[in-house]
Amino acid sequence: MRNIRREVLALLGLSLMPGVALAQVAKPAAGKPVINPPPTAKEWADLAKLPDWTGVWTHVRSDQDRQMKTNPPPWNEKAAKVIEWQYAEERAGRPPPLFQNCLPEAMPAWMLVTHNAMEIIFSPGRVTMLGESDSARLRRIYTDGRGHSEDPDPTFHGESIGKWEGDTLHVDTIAMHPQNYIAISEAQGIPNGGDMHIKEKMFLQKPEVWADELTITAPKVLTKPWVTTRIYYRQRLRRLDIVEGTCLEGYFRPAVDKDGYPVWEKISHDPYGNRTPPK
Amino acid sequence: MKRKLTVASAVFAASVVLGFAAPASFAQNKPAEKPIINPAPTAKDWADIGKLPDWSGVWNPNISDQDRKHRSEPPPWNAKAAAVIAFQAKELKEGRPTPLFTNCLPEAHPSWMLVSHNAMEILFTPGRVTMLGESDAGRLRRIYTDGRKHPPDVDPTFHGHSIGHWEGDTLVVDTVGIHPQVYIATHEAFGIPNQGNMRVIERIRLAKPDELHFTIKIIAPNVLTKEYETTRTWFRQRARKFDLVEGVCQEGWFAPRIDKDGWHIWAPQPHDVGGNRIPPP
Amino acid sequence: MKSSIKKAVLLSAMAGLTSGAYPVAAHHATTMFDHAKVVTVTGTVKEVHWTNPHVGIYVEVAQDGQAPALWVLEMTSPGNLVRSGGWTRTSVKPGDKVVVDMSPLRDGKKGGALKKITLTDTGKFLTADIRAQERANLEQEAPAK
Repeated sequence: MRNIRREVLALLGLSLMPGVALAQVAKPAAGKPVINPPPTAKEWADLAKLPDWTGVWTHVRSDQDRQMKTNPPPWNEKAAKVIEWQYAEERAGRPPPLFQNCLPEAMPAWMLVTHNAMEIIFSPGRVTMLGESDSARLRRIYTDGRGHSEDPDPTFHGESIGKWEGDTLHVDTIAMHPQNYIAISEAQGIPNGGDMHIKEKMFLQKPEVWADELTITAPKVLTKPWVTTRIYYRQRLRRLDIVEGTCLEGYFRPAVDKDGYPVWEKISHDPYGNRTPPK
Repeated sequence: MKRKLTVASAVFAASVVLGFAAPASFAQNKPAEKPIINPAPTAKDWADIGKLPDWSGVWNPNISDQDRKHRSEPPPWNAKAAAVIAFQAKELKEGRPTPLFTNCLPEAHPSWMLVSHNAMEILFTPGRVTMLGESDAGRLRRIYTDGRKHPPDVDPTFHGHSIGHWEGDTLVVDTVGIHPQVYIATHEAFGIPNQGNMRVIERIRLAKPDELHFTIKIIAPNVLTKEYETTRTWFRQRARKFDLVEGVCQEGWFAPRIDKDGWHIWAPQPHDVGGNRIPPP
Repeated sequence: MKSSIKKAVLLSAMAGLTSGAYPVAAHHATTMFDHAKVVTVTGTVKEVHWTNPHVGIYVEVAQDGQAPALWVLEMTSPGNLVRSGGWTRTSVKPGDKVVVDMSPLRDGKKGGALKKITLTDTGKFLTADIRAQERANLEQEAPAK
């Protein structure tokens, strides 16, 4: 501990340093910072001219399964072996638990294999997608004309830039975590390994059918870009409105402590994500 | 909504309108009331949003003000709750802050509004105001401004069922249906489960061009002796470099690793009871 | 290979599920750190976890005559660090030589709440005070007090 200078500076105010730091470090590096302008009345009115994507969109499980069987990703050899093993595991009653840790399904797996509904929110310069069952399913797609950042921070859903061409929203997504699965089901998927790039065309295939055509380029695990489409059905019935979803809630049970207060009590699960019966 | 229909045909009719086939279970599940269809927004609905106060941008909380209010405006706790709060004060002083928000469940309503240390954004759409919090996507409020009422039997959630209406430039939000476990917290280490039957009424308005004020009235008869009202302030940021970023609370439990075969994986990251990463042995 | 990914998948799955692993980082008060003290260590950054709810930095600290020890510094969220301290994900990188001022853990373990980190090579420093963002339009110069 000799090299560690231990100082007791009881009176050192926290407020002293930040001001200095802001002046030295947080100042805009060069040029003027970009300011997002407040939306104008025209921008709000213009949203009405876009295709109407309001309502709740429900996934189509059977179509997902069809895609998995008829249009598999062009896995490279190493990935194909893992997929083969995952199929064998699933057949043996041990489905590989890809999505059991309450981390987001993330891009592109959310779009590909989700079993839950979503809603799509338009605002001036933004399209926001919110998934049910776990609120971490959240995509922010910027449609305000910006380009990708120079060095975007990797995230579960990546940095998404959107552009309307006619009635189709083209979305370009980069900077996703290399751990994000390219999944074809809840039990078959491979971490993308980095450098993944996703281009999507989102459009209404029919008035009540929303389609997402994805082109996934993932040089670490795919031999060529993979093109696949997912569809979602619209619901407008109020009692089917999207509801709050917190993935972690499933890892707790409501209980009452000895003083009578309601508390969340942890419950145990097996490796596959199922609650384990009490002993 | 009030008229009761006894026939399942109403559901069937709705499903025909919607263009999907009603599964068998759907038909058996007959509702007591006529199904309500959320109408598609009109051009006027969109244009009218342009007339509302502008709440766009990113809002970050005034934390010093939270601290001040924690000291100067304590809730009217009942005796039982006050004893717990006194214990929590002692614990905090002794370096053992009560870990109220260390399980990655949402801070929830009203604690998110009262003690959050993270920014949020507010999205207006026809009939809805949506609040999205940074750092943990579990911070998400859907406030219906389409004239609907609270359902007679609300499924409890972390953020409750919220309906809002505009009174001039003030959005008045009424929330019920919040889990009884949800804390009324005035600090990250001071809070009491609301015990059920809580109702929260907020008046939200721009007090200055770039300051959003939430006046929050909490009615929680099982832990408070009377209504509690307090105000919180948020500051607007419009600089693009301060845009809201993705936040997943759970990510902090994992570390990015590469396994021996070169696959990128999330490896578990141990934490202590207070919620800090544990230094490796 | 197969067993390895299986193991990894199971491991990560179980991380969240076994009850022992459940008390986790989130939005917590910080009096487990002794804010009346400042401990300063000098070392090399080993890892930066730019994650929510809190960013963590691992610093390898060499001490005279002892094996290097790893210290873990806790901070606030990425978004807060960007707005209140001018941080980016790459402000501090593995391999950087640093001097760190922290409020140490009260239990004496090798960890603390980061107050200030100085990059030895450039002399640049960053702070992590969540309250340094309490005004609108942060991109503008703070008004004189």
